[in-house]
Amino acid sequence: MKRMSLLAALGASLIAGAIALPVAAQGTDTKAVLAKLKPKDFPSQPIEFTVVYPAGGGMDVTARLLAKYVEKVSGERIVVNNRTGGAGMVGHAYLATQAKPDGYTVGIIANLVWGDAMLRAQGKWSYTDLEPVGYINSDALTWIGQTDGALKGRSLKDVLQIARDKPSTLRVAIVPGSMWEYLVEQLETASGGKFLRVPFQGGGPGITALVGGNVDIAQGFLAEYRGHLEAGKVAPIAVAAGARLVNQKDVATFNEVLGASDYVWNVIRFAVTPKGTPADRKAYLGAIMKAAMQDPELIEEYRKAGAFFDATLAGSASIATDLDKYATRERDFYQKSGRLK
Amino acid sequence: MDALAGLATGFGVILTPGNLYYCLLGSLIGTLVGVLPGVGPLAALALLMPMTFVLTPVAGMAMLASIFYGAMYGGSTTSILVNIPGEAASVVTCLDGHQLARQGRAGAALGIAALGSFFAGTLSLIALTLFAPALAAVAIRFGPPENFALMVLGLVCTLYMISGSTAKGVLMIALGFLAAAVGIDVVNGKERFTFDSIQLTAGIELLAVVIGLFGVSEILANVESQARSTLVANRIRGLWPTREDWRVSWRPILRGSGLGFLLGIVPGGGPVTASFMSYALERRIATQPERFGHGAMEGVAGPESANNAAVGGSMIPLLSLGIPGNAVTALLLGSLVIHGIQPGPLFMTQRPDLFWGVVASMYVGNVFLLLLNLPLVGIWVQLLRVPYRILFPLVLLLSVVGTYSANKNLFDLWVMLGFGIAGYLLRKLEYDLAPFVISFVLAPLLEQSLRQSLVMSPDGALILAQRPVTAGLLVVALVLAALMFRRPVRLGDN
Amino acid sequence: MAERALNCFWILLGIAAAIHAHGLGMFGPSGPESGLFPLIAGLLIAATGIYLLVGKTATTNPAWPRGPALWRVLGVVAGLTLLAGATQYVGFAVASAITMLVLLKSVERAGWIESLAITLAAVTVVMGLFGHLLGMPLPRGPWGW
Repeated sequence: MKRMSLLAALGASLIAGAIALPVAAQGTDTKAVLAKLKPKDFPSQPIEFTVVYPAGGGMDVTARLLAKYVEKVSGERIVVNNRTGGAGMVGHAYLATQAKPDGYTVGIIANLVWGDAMLRAQGKWSYTDLEPVGYINSDALTWIGQTDGALKGRSLKDVLQIARDKPSTLRVAIVPGSMWEYLVEQLETASGGKFLRVPFQGGGPGITALVGGNVDIAQGFLAEYRGHLEAGKVAPIAVAAGARLVNQKDVATFNEVLGASDYVWNVIRFAVTPKGTPADRKAYLGAIMKAAMQDPELIEEYRKAGAFFDATLAGSASIATDLDKYATRERDFYQKSGRLK
Repeated sequence: MDALAGLATGFGVILTPGNLYYCLLGSLIGTLVGVLPGVGPLAALALLMPMTFVLTPVAGMAMLASIFYGAMYGGSTTSILVNIPGEAASVVTCLDGHQLARQGRAGAALGIAALGSFFAGTLSLIALTLFAPALAAVAIRFGPPENFALMVLGLVCTLYMISGSTAKGVLMIALGFLAAAVGIDVVNGKERFTFDSIQLTAGIELLAVVIGLFGVSEILANVESQARSTLVANRIRGLWPTREDWRVSWRPILRGSGLGFLLGIVPGGGPVTASFMSYALERRIATQPERFGHGAMEGVAGPESANNAAVGGSMIPLLSLGIPGNAVTALLLGSLVIHGIQPGPLFMTQRPDLFWGVVASMYVGNVFLLLLNLPLVGIWVQLLRVPYRILFPLVLLLSVVGTYSANKNLFDLWVMLGFGIAGYLLRKLEYDLAPFVISFVLAPLLEQSLRQSLVMSPDGALILAQRPVTAGLLVVALVLAALMFRRPVRLGDN
Repeated sequence: MAERALNCFWILLGIAAAIHAHGLGMFGPSGPESGLFPLIAGLLIAATGIYLLVGKTATTNPAWPRGPALWRVLGVVAGLTLLAGATQYVGFAVASAITMLVLLKSVERAGWIESLAITLAAVTVVMGLFGHLLGMPLPRGPWGW
């Protein structure tokens, strides 16, 4: 069953890739399709891409690159606006409860919104208040260690062995209340080992602490540690993705090392509109984003930034339904781990 | 000598009309956002970043960096002229800078601030040029225990800053700690003092606090005593710093440069901390500390040099390791990533053109800013003659937009208003508000780094004694604290 | 009088904060928990409040605004309240224009023509500077600006 879906996914990605190129080459066709979908009275002013994290971060870079190519394919003016605070909480709540559903506000968000909605929104809003209009890209959480020092050349199995033999000696950088912590928790439960979880405010500071020798293992995305990887300072241990990543073929997944299937912790980035946005505007927004996402230059830019494309989501006929499957998986984890009743 | 050859390459890259133009443009915009109350370098950089996508990476970086340090130049202007900090790193400049303006010496204060900024900026660049890789290697080892010790030292310095009643000052420091605790505890994700409000979950925005406490409350106090139709009733005495001003200022400028540079390099530091600590240092070592708060030139020279030097310092981990130490450098990193460049430890060897181009652009930018700011002194001083009733609604409006620009969250306006009213009342009752701000900035870092240190240490609190830098900083802090209590403590009013 | 009231407020605030903080947990397995630092801060606030209340500190006698001065201060507070509250509904341009007019008329008692001129100039400068030069999206009203 697992092999089947993997093959299907591979096929889908091949097809998606095959489609992507000709469409982009026939730019005039895209333009015609977009012109047909364009509502009469929309847009009459710039469209705001709302990013709920600070300028300069991974999410912000993703949104700004997307904005650049959406402007290129559609000719519409896009403004990227960072509505920050509380690690995304404030921006998520703004999008779900305050933003006008008129098509001029598009949230460029990540699946971290589910955790906020399920665990921290206190029933004031739900992630169904945000309707997905397009998938952008994904990043997988990777465990990395220093290339010299105690963990030099150690595999994931070795690391877990150390955590069992000498519990609470290995220091792992985490971000509390998010996938950085959940992954460590899963590993501890499954392997019976114990780590020292050193809390940081984001993935980046944790990687800095690794390079400075203040923690033994950091968790992060390729874009965050690539500089140190190229300099030979850090090396990946394992990646929490469903399958090995195309841009890091030699890095094993947690699942294959541990013979499991639930060590999947990705950031999935997608675009949403507030619930109630008129269907024709939503369709147009979805179309211009899809057109931008088929531009090989943008795909290359995202690849260079370290992101990968989830074949199921990229080739999805109904992005909302497919994202919902992931959200349900996350909800199951929260229920199983007692965070959600 | 590699460094000098590299710098020559850098100048070769930057000295083209196009690159110089963007450097000049950035300097101009930076001065402007510094002058505007509320709008800080972070908001301005976020707004202007898209403009740089069409430029070459070196032109874009030169422009964004020059906005960053340009804002440090401009920030002092508003502090000195209208007693409202142009950005958070200029809060302490208000204390003595505006007093100088009231005495008709705004020109001298502005001149010292501009020249101090120039010297500090250039000195920090020289240090960056010569020692960047070595300093970066030290900075990266700076972990939670070292950060904790640094924050303790900062807090002890804050004690030296208290003017007037010590008890009231201590109360303000404690209040700063409490206000900083509001929101999500970053160590374990627990909510504190949020009372089920999504807005409070995000914590209290520093910019809204600063603009409220210093901007709104200042306006309230001014409209109350409408006696003065303009800000400075006194005759304006001289536009330039005198020989005497220089005599008292050159040492604070040098000290501020060194302190700011070091605080810029380490993760927990930055321009805000640097300016506060420089002020505390100057006041501690002054022969007549009682002059502070009544127009001491050292109180302008030190902090204004320190915040500029901190910018140079904070570029070191960014350019040599690809590690951003604060929100502004994180944004610079992001703009490089959008250009398809991922700075890391190899940045200097792989892209020497870019590394040295940016460094060279900063030398050039500092010269631009000096040439720009000195003639502006005369114009700014004339601003003091504008009737206050025309000036204040505009300042108020700019404060509101500036506060909003930080997070684009209207809740921050309520925070600003609340702190404005509180600040007005507290000032009436002779409370010193600066310790509140610095404790509000330091408290989260102090708490987080202590708890991180204890989590990562198998030996508990011993980790603070095992790490030499940590232990050294803590000893210095202890000695400073002891010195403070050696002289008779002035509790209550004095 | 005001000083005494404030000191009582500090004591109450400090105690309330300490109680809330206590509920957040003091010590965990690896050191201080969320509550320890706020608890210390709260207790310190309450203690200095008590010290200031009973200690032999010279009470300050601030000159509180009265008459027109009080109205001017309240006018600015009212103006800012209006701005913070109304922006969400009518957009920044309209809200700030109304606030400016209120301020100029009530606080400064300026003439209509002068008030209108200053308002127009200030709002134009701010909107131009932020909306256009810096490209910052300011809150819009239902009419699109």
